[in-house]
Amino acid sequence: MEERFQYLSPEWAQEAQRRLQADLTPEKMKHLTSSMLTVYTGCPGGADCAVYYRVVDGVVQEVSLAEGDLPEAEFTITAGYDTFARISQAELKARAALMSGKMTLRGNLVKALRLAPVVDRLNEVLSTIPTDY
Amino acid sequence: MVETDTAKDDPFFIDFAGRIRQLQAAMADAGVDVYLASRLRTLSWTLDAFCPWRSFVVIPPHGLPTALTFVIDAARVADDSWLDEDHVLGYGPMGGQDQIPLLKDLIKPHLPGGKGVVGIETGMGTYLPEGHLTHLEYQYLSAALPDARLSNVHDLVDRLSLLADEGTVNRFREASRIVDIGHQAVYRAVQDGGYEGMTETELAGLAAYEMRKAGSEWEWSFTGGNEIASGYRTGLAAGACTPASRRVLRRGEPLMVDLHAMFKLGLGDHAHNYLLGEATPRQRWHAQNFVDTVQLCLDTYRAGITPSSLADSVLDFCEQGEFAEYMVPGFEHGIGMLGDEWRIGLNEGPFPYWTNPEHEYQAGELLICAMQYACPEEEIGFRYENPILITGRCCEALSEFPLSVDEV
Repeated sequence: MEERFQYLSPEWAQEAQRRLQADLTPEKMKHLTSSMLTVYTGCPGGADCAVYYRVVDGVVQEVSLAEGDLPEAEFTITAGYDTFARISQAELKARAALMSGKMTLRGNLVKALRLAPVVDRLNEVLSTIPTDY
Repeated sequence: MVETDTAKDDPFFIDFAGRIRQLQAAMADAGVDVYLASRLRTLSWTLDAFCPWRSFVVIPPHGLPTALTFVIDAARVADDSWLDEDHVLGYGPMGGQDQIPLLKDLIKPHLPGGKGVVGIETGMGTYLPEGHLTHLEYQYLSAALPDARLSNVHDLVDRLSLLADEGTVNRFREASRIVDIGHQAVYRAVQDGGYEGMTETELAGLAAYEMRKAGSEWEWSFTGGNEIASGYRTGLAAGACTPASRRVLRRGEPLMVDLHAMFKLGLGDHAHNYLLGEATPRQRWHAQNFVDTVQLCLDTYRAGITPSSLADSVLDFCEQGEFAEYMVPGFEHGIGMLGDEWRIGLNEGPFPYWTNPEHEYQAGELLICAMQYACPEEEIGFRYENPILITGRCCEALSEFPLSVDEV
């Protein structure tokens, strides 16, 4: 039976890092070096939670859960847990969430737009993780 | 960046970092914690880039400013500007990326505890693209920065930009040289009856093409680019604004050619006049009145005079010649890097945001000598415009196209 992961659990983060490293080549990631923090508001239990991604020269070097003092990142994306969950299940496109105001971005918009295809690839891989929401 | 004038031996070099430091010192003196600029003239003066979309510059108390413009143009502005892409941000209709949250993020770190003074730019103007902070922007910013005080401080920039530095003057000289090339092309096109069948718009385009070939970035004037008027349109009562129309040029009529070129945000603006075909004695009388008056005006400009004293001298001359009724009684308008047009000097005159008639010219000031002669009942008029640099005892006319009304 296929192993399933609880969304935003340490195991899910570990699996996310493994799949991203396995599936995304530095070429596919355009040798990007950047960092991104996704902040989930209204997580089950009521608190906010966050996931930190660090990419160096196109290699995803870190996917970790962040709590308390959140790390600095080049881009910070904030949305409700449900919004992220819908994006992860391919029910909602990240771009549509941004343009409708369901999701907010902090960081240089020009760079973010240039990196949008890379982030789409990253989201595609994440959507392959068997996840319980 | 395509071209960056970092070499001090470049004649067009402007020390933009130095300008920012001067402004930051003025902010400190005025008790301004952070300056939010929105006027086109300030954007040009601080960024060295043309900002056609709604844009802002946030100037912190120390360090580099950050520009904010419509995302579709941000990369281009960064490419043209002396600032790098981390200091030219784009805004757009996305969560957290529209103007107000971004401005708040840029401004708030410079307000201790969220409190302090944010310098803003607001006011009135005859010039439509001024870029004053709008009422709604003011309201939104006030709500986003509830403990800050928004204070109108555009005079800080106005004071610092009053005298043109060498790089700016040289950019204006080059723009004027390009305008002269446009005038030469127009002269070649209309001489010996070449104007027959041409329209005003065609002439405007012909000049634009030649000026673009010579390096002009655009015919910058918001009055329709190159202003061309023929026949009765040259003599519209008290008029001095003639976007080119589809009117066909006709023998026996006057023709007014007012060309605009831009070089690195320095502006060329020169008007020249013609009489098409053989002129009548009466047309020549008008033309001579106009040329003599322009010459007197150019000969009068010097440091220490005022718009008011100049107007007295020139209008006296017109009265003596019995043609004062045809002279529009204003002989100059302000000019600076793109966006700085119309008012001369500071906002300190009897009418808010109009030139102070008692403004005393200083060496180093740039302005446009702008004169309009209009006789509606005879359907004749002429215009003169030329950027001039007050040099002390006289002025330097930057466009060198000969002053005359040419019969062609």
